[in-house]
Amino acid sequence: MLFQISEQIVNGIVTGAVYALVAVGMTMIFGVLRAINFAHGEYYMVGTFGAWVAIEYFDLPYPVAIVAGVIATAFVALVIGQFVMRRMVGAPAEAGVLATLGIALILQNSVILLFGGGYKFFEGGYIEPVTILGVSLAEQRLLIIAVAVLVFFGLELLVTYSRMGKAMRAVSQNVECCAVVGIDVRKVVVRTFVLGAALAGLSGVLTAPVNVSVYGGMGELITFKTLPIIIMGGLGNVRGTFFAAMILGIAESLVATYVGLQFRDTVGFATLMLVLMWRPHGLFSAQARY
Amino acid sequence: MSLNESSLPLPGRDLRLPFGLAVVVLACCAPLLLGNYALHAVIISLIFLLPAHGLNLLVGYTGLLSLAQAAFFGVGAYVSALMAVHWGTPFYVNLFGAGLVAGVLALPLGIPALRLRSTSFVMCTLGFVIIGQAVAKNWISLTRGDMGLSAIPKPYFALGPASFAVSGTVGFYYLVLAIAALATFVVWLIVTSPAGRNMVAIRENETLAESVGVPTWRYKLVVFMISATFAGFGGSVYAHYLTVVSPLTFQMSNSTLMLIIVLGGGPGTISGVVFGSLLFVGLSEALRIAPELRMVAYGFCLLALVFWFPKGFAPLITRFWTMLRGRS
Amino acid sequence: MTGLPILDITGLSKSYGAIRAVDGVDLQVHRGEICGLIGPNGSGKSTFFDCTSGLARPNAGSVKLDGQDITGWSLNRIAREGRMLRSFQKTVTFGALDIEENLVIAGQMFTFPSVASTFGFGARSRARVDGLRQRARELIRLSGLWDVRTQPAGNLSGGQQKLIQFASMLMPEPKLILLDEPMAGINPKLIERVVEAIRYANEQLGVSFLVIEHNIDVITSICQRVAVLDQGRKLAEGTPAEIMRNQAVREAYLGG
Repeated sequence: MLFQISEQIVNGIVTGAVYALVAVGMTMIFGVLRAINFAHGEYYMVGTFGAWVAIEYFDLPYPVAIVAGVIATAFVALVIGQFVMRRMVGAPAEAGVLATLGIALILQNSVILLFGGGYKFFEGGYIEPVTILGVSLAEQRLLIIAVAVLVFFGLELLVTYSRMGKAMRAVSQNVECCAVVGIDVRKVVVRTFVLGAALAGLSGVLTAPVNVSVYGGMGELITFKTLPIIIMGGLGNVRGTFFAAMILGIAESLVATYVGLQFRDTVGFATLMLVLMWRPHGLFSAQARY
Repeated sequence: MSLNESSLPLPGRDLRLPFGLAVVVLACCAPLLLGNYALHAVIISLIFLLPAHGLNLLVGYTGLLSLAQAAFFGVGAYVSALMAVHWGTPFYVNLFGAGLVAGVLALPLGIPALRLRSTSFVMCTLGFVIIGQAVAKNWISLTRGDMGLSAIPKPYFALGPASFAVSGTVGFYYLVLAIAALATFVVWLIVTSPAGRNMVAIRENETLAESVGVPTWRYKLVVFMISATFAGFGGSVYAHYLTVVSPLTFQMSNSTLMLIIVLGGGPGTISGVVFGSLLFVGLSEALRIAPELRMVAYGFCLLALVFWFPKGFAPLITRFWTMLRGRS
Repeated sequence: MTGLPILDITGLSKSYGAIRAVDGVDLQVHRGEICGLIGPNGSGKSTFFDCTSGLARPNAGSVKLDGQDITGWSLNRIAREGRMLRSFQKTVTFGALDIEENLVIAGQMFTFPSVASTFGFGARSRARVDGLRQRARELIRLSGLWDVRTQPAGNLSGGQQKLIQFASMLMPEPKLILLDEPMAGINPKLIERVVEAIRYANEQLGVSFLVIEHNIDVITSICQRVAVLDQGRKLAEGTPAEIMRNQAVREAYLGG
């Protein structure tokens, strides 16, 4: 019994790491833009498809496919950043919701039009099982956890010490002042957006071998999972997002085992709504101003 | 919007009456002019007009962006289907049952949701759709899960001893047309009433509305419930038209589509929403565009609406109209 | 000046975190009076107004309007049931609507007894709205805005919008009006018109006023009594002449 629980928790941590990689980008974008990106899961999907194309059409090995997937996502994000996200600086919250909903529709359905709507087999990754402390799990899952931890340390360093990180923090504090002291807000927004989307793409590429199948509609579910995470993690708060993602991953894993698999995908939103109803202002007041 | 129109008489003749008559005649003669498939497209767009009218009251008049409409649409579809399948009740009873359940359900959902501001409210309404779908999938004893409910009878009416069923596309067209026309009239009554004026006040500036005594919270709740009722009506007609319902009725893209109808047609106008549902649902259905391509087009429409046409595409038509009139 | 004060505030306090924005302020406005409220920036005037009008909830103290305890009531209830209205410094009109619509909206909740009744579309409802329109037109004429009545209020100048807001507050025959810096950001030519409007409402309609204003000339010319706030506390109270002579007030303004 105890053993089973610990296995579920480890699985939950893997899921949590995947969510964390997606959600951290979303929360950073919220930080600089004050808008929630309803298309964020689609970048996860774009990353997966980039890698799938690299493997399927160009016979590239998986490590190269990872790079290809991330670059593809970053490129798509750069185009969208230049044409759409830049315009959202200073726009009302509703405009952000609608524009990102539009982007989600475009990305998801373009991919289906290009590659067909069916499930595709993703070949690649490291699926040999290893046993650690009595719990056996695929190497790929270990890789996911390791990458997530590395990325979070990297982001902490970036946000604290680099010029871009400082600019990001400045923009998330006060947009008007940044313009006055000569920070190019639009440039910061586009860069943050590309970085955040690329992380979602990375998460998609890393998860693909575990998910095995790849399909055009996969991003929507990821968006729905990460929305609750970034809110519960305190919008714009990188560390909080990491913990919220871990908690959701573990909770989903436990619910799937002990309550029923069919309830897994509603855990996040059900929790979010309970929390929102319980404390309608509390969760937001810490980081975000409304 | 009627509230905005200046009371100064416009130069040229008032063409509203002849134009309105033309619309009525066209609507009545549509089965003669259109093929079966085109008529089907019009029926679908008239069905989607119902939730869109409700959403327009919420988004266009009161200024609350909601994604919950597909949830109430789905609730209406399921309620109507269950009543028809299990109890064999006539169509109009199912229709009112669907609207009533959706509207009443909006009360406990709206009370916590409307306390939230902007993005959190949007998120919460999205949650209703996701949770609605989960319930439809998992309450198998009632909804039969992913299989959905099938063999929903075509609408039939029982008036005293007489009873008749509406079958065939043409018959259904007139039924939907009557319901849509009635709904449009009811929306017109609401927005031209003093309450409609208060709704616009809330959209323009909530605090200022409060300061002149408007109980904004109560209005928002009532409008949320009315909008859910309209969605419930739409779901009911939808279920009886397709004769099957599945958990896919609760999908995010339905909410997005209703939003595009309202924003694209012209939020805060009635004619704009009618125009929007014909354009975005009817036309794309009639042209048999692949659903994915349609979604991509919707996506670009949303971007265009947000950045270039905040008042929807209807003003373009108005401009064209005045141009025509100016020339003659 | 006999009998119950129209507005009786005792011990009103409001803190935001560790900052005590308003700290135990007592203030009374007598029936038929125009009372001024002045103080340096950040002295807590606006917070005091927000707590009195129901926009914010005070932490302590009580607000009595015409003998009735209205502490903790919402903004809309105080307006509707108490007939005490307030203005705002910045947002003053429903920008997309014309002046007449602005005024009709301001009067609706005082003519229709409930939310449900506002959904009515019958003859009675129409008659009520017609009555409101008539009153609105009278007020538009009185405010000298007749020529611009069909324009969206948002297109008009700041001063004209303030006049619209003032006319809106007269729609429901108010008992008391709280004015938050009525002269801020308006053309000096219009100041005289706003002053006239206040005098008219006070003398002809019997409305009492509590006015926050930085323009000392306006305060001394219209107010019978002035209270001074500084750092969340009431520093002084008296006739305008007494206040001008008060040493403590001078120091507060000069940053003593």
